[in-house]
Amino acid sequence: MSNNSANILDIKNIEVMYDSVILALHDVSLKVPKGKVVALLGANGAGKSTTLKAVSTMLASERGKVTKGSIDYDGTLIDKQNPSQMVGLGMVQVLEGRRCFGHLTVEENIISGAYSRKLSKGDINQELEKIYTYFIRLKERRKSQAAFTSGGEQQMIAVARAMMAKPKMLLLDEPTMGLAPQLVAEIFKIVKELNQKEGVSILLAEQNTNVALKNSDYGYIIETGRVMLDGTAQSLLNNDQVKELYLGISKKGRKNFRDVLKEESLTKKKIN
Amino acid sequence: MVNELLFFMEVLVGGLLAGTMYSLVALGFVLIFKASATFNFSQGAMVFFSVLAFCGFMQDFNIPFVLAFILAALLMVVVGLCTERFVLRPLMNASEDTVLMATIGLGYVLEGLAQAAWGVEVRRLDLGIGDFPVPWIADNLKLFISALDITAGLVATIMIIGLFLLFKYTKIGLGLRAVADDAGAASSIGIPLKHIMLLVWSAAGVVALVAGCMWGARAGVQFALVDLALKALPVLIIGGFSSIPGAIIGGLIIGAVEKILEVYIGPFFGGAIEGWAPYVLAIFFLLYRPEGLFGEKIIRRV
Repeated sequence: MSNNSANILDIKNIEVMYDSVILALHDVSLKVPKGKVVALLGANGAGKSTTLKAVSTMLASERGKVTKGSIDYDGTLIDKQNPSQMVGLGMVQVLEGRRCFGHLTVEENIISGAYSRKLSKGDINQELEKIYTYFIRLKERRKSQAAFTSGGEQQMIAVARAMMAKPKMLLLDEPTMGLAPQLVAEIFKIVKELNQKEGVSILLAEQNTNVALKNSDYGYIIETGRVMLDGTAQSLLNNDQVKELYLGISKKGRKNFRDVLKEESLTKKKIN
Repeated sequence: MVNELLFFMEVLVGGLLAGTMYSLVALGFVLIFKASATFNFSQGAMVFFSVLAFCGFMQDFNIPFVLAFILAALLMVVVGLCTERFVLRPLMNASEDTVLMATIGLGYVLEGLAQAAWGVEVRRLDLGIGDFPVPWIADNLKLFISALDITAGLVATIMIIGLFLLFKYTKIGLGLRAVADDAGAASSIGIPLKHIMLLVWSAAGVVALVAGCMWGARAGVQFALVDLALKALPVLIIGGFSSIPGAIIGGLIIGAVEKILEVYIGPFFGGAIEGWAPYVLAIFFLLYRPEGLFGEKIIRRV
């Protein structure tokens, strides 16, 4: 079912409603070229997760529905499929908030990702070893219960688990949420590696605009369910509006919290 | 003194073995609770339905014992299939409370169907195992223990080992545990929820059939089995709703405690306290150890 077009994912003007009344996406179009990393950026409630779930068909379990537009994935029109069919087609979503199986061990978590594939025990172990080369940290912790691992490790488990399904495309929903900067860098390094060595195409929802764009090829910025801006990652990083609104950099240079406080105290003095 | 000790032993062992009968019923609840996080109120009806079907096959159609058992087990798989298709799937995105209510309704449907198909009179179920003290044990150990109790103990042991192996070492067992932890995440990596549900409900149906055979052989196959199954509630509170070993140990504790209390403390209350003593015990557990002895503690990272 593969096609020869350059895009693995092509979303055209979709509108999404929850409970048939709440309009979450007004008009979103985006493309993910094969083998590339595309970032979907925006604030809370902008519609990033909704867009990803529309693609992975996880929307249905939240009473959401694509009411207009079309989603084309690798030559297949996404319409009535369910998530396990999508996994069969090679598309796996890593849900927001990691969602590890807390009572299972790290290794059982990762193996569960291969559920949809018919693999022998030997094949599974082989795949497992390959996955561990990307996630070295997890190998050390393979026997611990997943709920007792750190946030960064849990995120790695979630990505490793998804990789066990041998996806052609990964949807990552805020993989760095709540993680320390060092871990954010580590996660992105792994994502980049997976993209380059395994050839997985990636659509990535992030609030962490700066890091996300630095690790992507292309970016879309959405606000209140609409695509506001899109362009190559480089052009977005240099865009003044993006700098001001999403990267916290104004033309006069980087503004930090202390500068803001200083400005405030100055204006107060003037008033007094 | 020796006689008193012997008597106590007899009460204890009798209680423990009777407890395995509760454990068998509780097992069915645990299976379903693990997968759908719902207390399945229809489990009692499933016990009644399955064993009545078993009796019906044997007595009305003269089907031999083993074949009738297999047919009844298959029937329970069909019940599981229908439950998944017509009750659980439409309620896929509904809250756990809604599913809980649906199981109550399902219980009534099963009770009604069973009685419509096989009548309402009490049936005798003869497993070929007597519910009287085994002479050998009575002679040599001076303990009066029923053969049926011993059988129930053995059957319960075999089932728990089987289920443990199924969950721990098979692929579908891994899938089941994954669904029990986070159904949404499980479906995001392609674990088909409907297969898991089907497996769990069928397994619970077969467990119900086994439990029903044991109870039916003791008390007769009758409507009262439905309420008897609710005795599993204190068992689950003590053992933990999501733990299979918990269901077994909880059953043993309930069995032993209710018999001991009945014999030694019962007379002060005018007897018959075994009907409510387990529930009192359950209340203490709810107050001081709500997850039960073996229940999964809610793990939360701080």
